[in-house]
Amino acid sequence: MKPDTLPEFDHTPRVAERYQRPRSFISWTGVILGLILGIAAGLGYTWVFDPVEEFDTQPWQLNEADRAQYIVAVMLDYSHNADLNLATQRLASLRLPRDFIQEVADVACTLTTEGYANNSSGLRAVRAMMTFYQLQGRSGCADTLILLDDTPAPQVVRIEPPTPTLTPPATKTPTPGAVDRAAGTPTLVIVPTSPPQSDFEIANIPTSCSASRPGLIEVQVVDFNGQGIPGQQVRVTWDGGESTFATGLKPERGPGYADFEMQPGLSYVVDMPGRADPSQPLTATSCPLEGGGRSVITYRVVFRPVG
Amino acid sequence: MRRFLVSFLIALLLGAGIGLYLGWVQFPVEFVDSPASALAQNEKDDYTLMIAGAYADDGDLNGAIERLRVLGVDNVPAYVQEVTERYITNSRGVDDIRLLVDLAEGMGRLTPVMEPYRQINMPGQGS
Repeated sequence: MKPDTLPEFDHTPRVAERYQRPRSFISWTGVILGLILGIAAGLGYTWVFDPVEEFDTQPWQLNEADRAQYIVAVMLDYSHNADLNLATQRLASLRLPRDFIQEVADVACTLTTEGYANNSSGLRAVRAMMTFYQLQGRSGCADTLILLDDTPAPQVVRIEPPTPTLTPPATKTPTPGAVDRAAGTPTLVIVPTSPPQSDFEIANIPTSCSASRPGLIEVQVVDFNGQGIPGQQVRVTWDGGESTFATGLKPERGPGYADFEMQPGLSYVVDMPGRADPSQPLTATSCPLEGGGRSVITYRVVFRPVG
Repeated sequence: MRRFLVSFLIALLLGAGIGLYLGWVQFPVEFVDSPASALAQNEKDDYTLMIAGAYADDGDLNGAIERLRVLGVDNVPAYVQEVTERYITNSRGVDDIRLLVDLAEGMGRLTPVMEPYRQINMPGQGS
């Protein structure tokens, strides 16, 4: 069957449809490329070449060392005014990533191992921190390195005097005070006593971290003038053993010197048998060396005469 | 090509403006690991007050000076005097002023304006 009409041939050349639309004034490719490059350049300039000047720095922006000092200040102020809310508010302003009370314990530990507590000022600060975190049920390595309070509380012993007997009947010439003695209930006499006296006491236990002398308990027994005393017995006790040795066996390190090598991870107690009370447990923990790397902490226990 | 260049340049300028706004206003560089010397003035004042409180407690003047050195001040006594006088001028809390005056006095920086805030310990009284 033949069609009635044949389709007419289109003589005009075929042009892509996009060329037939009205031409836009905007090149979207250029816009997107320009925006990307512009924003990148702007951010690069403001973040790298001309950043916002540092001012109004807040405590949470402090570096580690100064943040530790800030925590020390907060704790010292807390020991002054006992304002727990204020102290926690200040600690919270540090935006610490974890439990900020435990952070106080960790900072106290770090400061102690770095020798911050080797003077009375630093010792007082670390003790203030210890008081704070211990009251909140936290603990840290400073607990084993520093006694919270060196001076034991005086013990009070109550002595009940015997029941008074009646005084003889009054004579014609009354004895002064006789009536007073007979009357009333017996009075309590409170006699404060000191704890048993020791010849020596631990002055302090500074720590150090050394690659050449790792994991030692270095003992110094000194007299009132700070001079070493040779021949003094020192005992180190640990879980499952003890060792007793004398000072002065290494004269090149001083007449009052003696040392003991610890096993990493174990805890030791040092005393002078019968002459000084034992120390707090000294744990042979790992410590960071100044130039990088790690070693085992060394304790220096100084015994001095009491008084 | 001309159309592309014009669009590109206009968008570049616009993008740079947006980038500057984002970098300086919305998402400025946040400094961390800053020294205490860069603390905001009110934070420095607060820190100084904490040290003054500690000094009132323990009387450790050397310790107070050492701790205030963290703020990067050259002359610690002069700094304490300046903070104390500013507290007095701005009528801040009397308790705070007294702590600061106590510290300033300990550093030998008691000035006449501080005199009314001095804490005088009478015999038989604590501090």
